Amino acid sequence: MLVIDPNKCSGCRRCETHCSFYHSGKTGHMGARIKVEKIEISGIDFPVVCHQCTEHYCTKCPRKAISITKRGSIEISPTLCDLCGACEMLCPIGAIEIYNDIPYVCDLCGGDPRCIEACEMDAIFFDPEIKQNISLALFKKKTKKMTPAMKRSEYAKQESAEIRKNWLKDRRK
Amino acid sequence: MLYGYGGHILRVDLSSGRILREKTDPAYMLEVIGGRGLNSRRLYDELKRDIDPLSEENMLLIGVGPITGSLFSTSAYMTISGKSPLTGILGDSAAGGFFGTEIKTAGYDQFIFTGKSKSLSYVYICDDHVEIRDAGHLKGKDIFQTTSIIRKELKDNNLQVAAIGPAGENLVRYSIVACNNSRVCGRTGMGCLFGSKNLKAIVVKGTGMVSHADPLKFMELCKIVDERIITHPEFQDRHDMGSNLLMKALNGLGILPVNHFQKGTAPYVDKISGQTLAKKYKTKNKGCFNCNINCSRYYVTKEVESEGPEYETLCSFSSRIGSQDLEFALKMNQYLNRMGLDSLSTGETIGWAMECVEKGIFDKNDFDGLDFTWGNTDTIERILGLIITQEGVGADFAKGTRYLADKMGKGSEKYALHVKGLDIICGDPRGIKAFGLTYAIASRGADHLRAEPFFELTNRFDEAEKRFGTRDAADRLSNNGKAALVEYTERQALLTDCLTMCKNVGLSMDVLDFKLAADLLMAGTGLKFTEDVVNKALRNTITNDRLMNIDFGITSKDDTLPHRFTHEPLLEGDSKNQVVPVHDMVKEYYKIKGWDENGVPVKP
Repeated sequence: MLVIDPNKCSGCRRCETHCSFYHSGKTGHMGARIKVEKIEISGIDFPVVCHQCTEHYCTKCPRKAISITKRGSIEISPTLCDLCGACEMLCPIGAIEIYNDIPYVCDLCGGDPRCIEACEMDAIFFDPEIKQNISLALFKKKTKKMTPAMKRSEYAKQESAEIRKNWLKDRRK
Repeated sequence: MLYGYGGHILRVDLSSGRILREKTDPAYMLEVIGGRGLNSRRLYDELKRDIDPLSEENMLLIGVGPITGSLFSTSAYMTISGKSPLTGILGDSAAGGFFGTEIKTAGYDQFIFTGKSKSLSYVYICDDHVEIRDAGHLKGKDIFQTTSIIRKELKDNNLQVAAIGPAGENLVRYSIVACNNSRVCGRTGMGCLFGSKNLKAIVVKGTGMVSHADPLKFMELCKIVDERIITHPEFQDRHDMGSNLLMKALNGLGILPVNHFQKGTAPYVDKISGQTLAKKYKTKNKGCFNCNINCSRYYVTKEVESEGPEYETLCSFSSRIGSQDLEFALKMNQYLNRMGLDSLSTGETIGWAMECVEKGIFDKNDFDGLDFTWGNTDTIERILGLIITQEGVGADFAKGTRYLADKMGKGSEKYALHVKGLDIICGDPRGIKAFGLTYAIASRGADHLRAEPFFELTNRFDEAEKRFGTRDAADRLSNNGKAALVEYTERQALLTDCLTMCKNVGLSMDVLDFKLAADLLMAGTGLKFTEDVVNKALRNTITNDRLMNIDFGITSKDDTLPHRFTHEPLLEGDSKNQVVPVHDMVKEYYKIKGWDENGVPVKP
């Protein structure tokens, strides 16, 4: 799975740009499967991408269009998917989002994630061995009725609290 | 289908509320490329010349380029243009960040604002939905508050917000527009232009994508540029310190502005250097859209935290005004960005006042009791408050150094360091001669970014001979070959503004040449951009800018430098005994441009 180190992320969105270019030949935030949340007022930049969470909420797809690949990534069958939006709603962190009639979620670029090469800050790692060790059950409760963008924002805020604590400890001693 | 470009020009008349979406004309874009070139041409074609910059008739343009927001590294910029409220001539200012890319993904190449809103408003643009909204509740709010309130009320944390602060609302002539808090269009008073139109902010959301005519070819070209960037000898220092590396570098060359350019070295430079900032206050790197250098930084001090500062701000609020206090400069960076003041012009008014007091021209009583001794941080904080609210002596400070010195007189005009009304940047031209020429001829006033001839600092003598016919062009203290160098880098600078890419990369690091740019443009847009077409567009834009400035009243007499740089040699450091023979350099520049001896472009 992809491991993110938000301590290092500069928020340049290079991962997004290269992700969307690899998948479509175009660039743009909405066309990316990894999306960087930027909280300018507190200096936080936080890439949100499918964590392959232990709960696999998205697999409760009513059309059974979603399965898990050998690598642990999410695969969505384009023939079974009818764009009902359940996966978008089920994912607690906004890592699946429908755009131009396609549910966008990280597919690990077939095992060679382009975002890693693009990131000059070494904020993203790919480790095929690490699988499914993050639980989102606690966070899930907070995210009812949120849009994917709101969930990403909320998740970034929560997960970065520790980073800020360290900054302040470090720089204001 | 039009590739690369957003595809539409948006016209918003704030007086009538009329909104028009025009299709972008590819033939027009071939003549201007985009970004600053597009804005300049629009002003040339449509702006009435003899207007008051603060009147409704002034235009406010925001332009992006054909590969803004694309796979191309650092393609993050956008340019705001209009008739400058500070200088009365061509005004424009660019910023990176993410605002430019959002304009593109919303489907636009340019916004054109005309007229004046009846009450304070902001404009919300979400793809093809455009709405003028009331901003009464944002009156007096600083830029950080404004950004956060707007995001909250439109329920979207990812909105790109370009806003002005109280300084802009109060029409301080050198107020700024800040995008997402810290990406600032600082120069020539574009924030004041917003304020004069009762425009508090422009908010953009784009859900589209940037297309490329030939994605594979485009990707190959981008890889060439990426390789040039990451293997560049300056890469690591720029990554670690960004432009703040210049504090120590310029001090070493003897051209760091100290006590308002009276000296070129500061013995205390280590207290205020980019190295110290990185070591003691930086928490992490920050980057503009799709950047692989990430030269910006987030910092935390005991009092404040923010993104920035860039070198010009750091120097303006430390050595230039005789202060050795780095934490103070960092605090000011955040304060100026919040309230909406340009750090360079603000710093120049303060430096001018301090020198005038030192010289005995004025004293406390001339400045409402404020004690302008070098590095007096208490006075600086108090005068900033007065400038923002335009109270007392602050009302004169708020009109810029040229106005201030002309009004107060007594010979203080000599110490007002500006060209064409725009305050000089933090690089003493006496030790970098091509920069001196650049300040003198730049179409927006004393500014390095019009041609940033960083080349003269890079010791590439063979390359100098090849490009400019003399090895001296790479010698910073020589006057030879500098007109040719500036003519070249002026086009290169405009090219980066048209594309729109970062000048540190495209120009200072010299990774972009005209042939590569033409190939990128062709692969990106599918239009027939050749090297000749690109250069013709650039030359025409520079000529049109000059013709426009002549209409605004500029003559060859204005193409000069303040007395200090032409007549007072530096007394110590590595640029000792140097002055800039600007008159001769300007003449040579005119000749290379094919302009007559009065600096008027001759019709071919």
